[in-house]
Amino acid sequence: MKIQILAMTAAATVAATAGASDKIVIDGSTTVGPIAKAFAEYYMAANPDVNITVSESGSGNGAKSMVNGTCDVAIMSRPMKETEFKAAADKGIQPVAHVVSLDGLPILVHPSNPVQELTVEQVRKIYLGEISNWKEVGGPDKAIVTISRDTNSGTYETFAKLVMNKEKIGGKCEYVGSNGAIRQRVQSTPAAIGYAGLGFVDKTVKALKINGIYPSAETVQTGEYPVARPLFMYTDGYPKLGTPLYQFITIHLTEDGQEMVEEIGFVPVTAY
Amino acid sequence: MRLETRKLLDKAFSGLGLIAIAVMAMALLAILTPIIWRGSKAFVFKGTIEHRRVMLEQFDRGNSDRFNEELNLTAAARAPVYDMLEAFEAETAELEKTLEAQEDEKKTQAKVLKNQARALKREGGSEEEIARLEAEEDRLKAEAKALKEQARSLGETREEPYEALVDAVQELFGPMPGQKKPVLIRQQYGQTRWDRTLVKLHEVMVEEEWDYSNPDAMGVLVENPRIEKFRGTGLEPFFQYLEDHIDEMMRPKTTFYWQFITDTSKDSHIFGGIWPEVLGTIYLTLGAMIFAIPMGVIAAIYLCEYAREGRTVSFLRICISTLAGVPSIVFGLFGLAFFLNTIQVSDSKSVLAGSLTLSLLILPTIIRSSEEAILAVPRAYKEAALGLGAGRWHTVMTVILPAALPGILTGVVISMGRAAGETAPIIFTAAVSVGAPLKIWETLNQPTPALPWNIYNLCTEHEAVDEIRHVQYGMVFTLVAIVLLLNLFAILMRARISKKLRG
Repeated sequence: MKIQILAMTAAATVAATAGASDKIVIDGSTTVGPIAKAFAEYYMAANPDVNITVSESGSGNGAKSMVNGTCDVAIMSRPMKETEFKAAADKGIQPVAHVVSLDGLPILVHPSNPVQELTVEQVRKIYLGEISNWKEVGGPDKAIVTISRDTNSGTYETFAKLVMNKEKIGGKCEYVGSNGAIRQRVQSTPAAIGYAGLGFVDKTVKALKINGIYPSAETVQTGEYPVARPLFMYTDGYPKLGTPLYQFITIHLTEDGQEMVEEIGFVPVTAY
Repeated sequence: MRLETRKLLDKAFSGLGLIAIAVMAMALLAILTPIIWRGSKAFVFKGTIEHRRVMLEQFDRGNSDRFNEELNLTAAARAPVYDMLEAFEAETAELEKTLEAQEDEKKTQAKVLKNQARALKREGGSEEEIARLEAEEDRLKAEAKALKEQARSLGETREEPYEALVDAVQELFGPMPGQKKPVLIRQQYGQTRWDRTLVKLHEVMVEEEWDYSNPDAMGVLVENPRIEKFRGTGLEPFFQYLEDHIDEMMRPKTTFYWQFITDTSKDSHIFGGIWPEVLGTIYLTLGAMIFAIPMGVIAAIYLCEYAREGRTVSFLRICISTLAGVPSIVFGLFGLAFFLNTIQVSDSKSVLAGSLTLSLLILPTIIRSSEEAILAVPRAYKEAALGLGAGRWHTVMTVILPAALPGILTGVVISMGRAAGETAPIIFTAAVSVGAPLKIWETLNQPTPALPWNIYNLCTEHEAVDEIRHVQYGMVFTLVAIVLLLNLFAILMRARISKKLRG
C-alpha cells in the first residue's frame, strides 16, 4: 500500500514537472536555425505534448534572449562573448555551451563567375575595398559587389575574426539579415560575393576554393578549410537529466541527430 | 467667363478623380491577381503519388487500399529504372574487377620475368637473352600501368556521372527501394507536385555546366544532356524510358488540398499546411482588439465628452498623433523592452506580449476614428437626452455610443487589417519560425508562428526557399483573404447596425 502511494506520488511529480516544462523556446542564429528546426520537428513528432518554438534572429539576439531569460536555448554560430557571459552571470544565468555541429564558411559567388579560387588575403582585401574589380583576381572586368551579414550575426563575427583579422569591412558593403538573404543576393547579382553557412550552399550559388581548399564536410572536419567554426546551443546551466530540454539538447549526439545534421549540409561533431 | 472657368475646373477635377480611381483599381488588380493566381496553387494543383503518400503516412488521410493499388502500379513503372541503374552499377563493378585482375596478371608476369632475368644474370647467361627479358618486363609493367590508369579513369567517366544521376533520380522519386529510411521527412519522399516533378525531371535529363572559356566575360550556362555520358552503356535507354513513363511513375492528379489551411507543417513547411501560422495571426489580431478597443473607445469618450479643452487635452492629442506616426519597428523594440524585459508579462516571447504591442500600434487609429464618430453625432441628440433629464453617463452610454457605433467600427476595421498584417511589432515579441498551434490558454506565455512574419521568414531565411515557393504564395493568399474577410465581416456588421439605427 505504502509503495503504491509512493509510486503514485512519484508518477504525479513526474507528470507535474513534465507539464511544467512542456515548452522549449529557442532563439538565435539563422545558421543554426535549420538544425534547430529539424531537431524541434523530430522531437515534437516523438513528444507531441512538448511545444518547441524556434526563432531565427541572429546569434547576438539569441545571447540577449538568454541573458534576459526569455529563451531556454540560445542557438549561436559563435561562442558567447565575455561581456555576454558577464551580463548573464549578473542575472544569475550560467550559459553552458553544447557544440551541435561544425560548419565551414563558404565564400559564395554567382555560378556564372569564372573565378574558382581565392586566398584568405584576397577575400580580406575584397571586403576592405582594396580589390574592387573581379579583373584583379582573374575574373572579368566587373565591379565587385560585397555582401555581408549584419553585425549582430555570429557568422559576421566569425568572418571578421578568421578572414578580416578584426579589420573593419570597407564602406560599400551591403549588409543583410540572414544566411538565406545572402544566398538570394548572390544568386541574383552576378558580380556579388558573400558568405554563409555550409548548409546554405546549393547549386544556385558557387562556393570558392579558399587557399586551394574547397569547403566540404571532409575539409572542415580535418581542419584544412581555413574558415571553419563550431555551432553552439547554449542553455542556462546543464539541463537536468531526463527533462525534455536535456533530451532535446542531446539529439545531436544520437545517430538520428548526426544524420539530420549531415543531411541539412553541416558537419556532425561526432563523425571523426 | 468666370463661370466657364469654374465649369472647366470642375470637369478637370472630376476627370482627375476618375483617373485616380482607375489607377487605384488597376493597381489593386495588378497586386491581387498574382496573389490569388499563385496563392491558389497551394490549394489546387496537380499532385503526384508522392503527395498522396505524404497525406497517408503523415496525416493519415486517404484510402490506403486504393493507394496501395496505385503504389503497386507506380512501383512496377519505376522498377525498370532501378533495374537499369543496378545493372549499370554491376557492370561498372565488373569492369573494374576485370581491369584489376588483368593488371594483377601483368604484374605477376612481369615479376616472373624479372626473376628469370635475375637468375640468368647470376648464372652468367647470354646478354641478349637478359636484355630481351628485361624489355619484355618493362613492356608488361607499362601495360599494367596503363590498365591502372584505365581503372582510375573508369571512376571519372562512369562513377562520378552515375552518382550525380542517382542523386537527381532520388530527388525525383525519393529514396531508392531497399535504402534505409532517412530521418528528415524532406528526404523520405519524392516530388509531391507535378510542376516540381517536371523541373526535377529536367535536372535528371540535362546537367547544367558553366562555360568559362571567355576570360573577359561572365560564364555562360550550358545544358549538357546527361545521356552523352552514358552512350553505349546499359543506361542509354534509361533517359528515353524516364521521359516516356514519367506519368506512370508519378501519376499526377488534380488535387484539392483545402486542408492546407488546417494542417500543421511538417519539416519546417516542406510538407503540410499553415495552421499554426493562421491560428497565430488570429490570436494576435483578436488579442490586439481585446486590448485596443476598450482603451481606444474609453479614451475617445473622455476626450470628447469629459475633458475640458485646454493645454492638457491638446497635449494629449499631440501625443496621439505622434504615436500614430511612430514606425512600427519601434513598437516592436518597445514591446520587447517594456512588456518582456521590464514588466515581464511572460517568461518568453508570447502572444500576449505581441497582442499588447500591436494594440499600442493601433490605439491612435481607434481613438481618432472613435472621436470623429462621436463628434459626428448630432448635438441635438445629446441636448434632447440631457433635456429629458438623463445624466452625462447615461447619455453617453445609451444615446451617443450607439449612434457613433458605425463610425467606431470603421476605425476598428481599418486597424484590424493593420494588426493582422503587421510584421515588425511581432518580430521581437511574439513571432517564431517554427512552433505548434497553441491552445487558448497557452497564448499567455508561449510564442507562435504568424503569417506576416513567416512569409518573410520563408523567403529570406529558409534553407530550401525555391522548393517551397507555393507555401509562401499560399501564406500570402491566406493572409490577404483573412484581412479581406475580417473587413467584410466588419463592414456587414456596420451596415446592419446603421440600418437598425435608422429603422
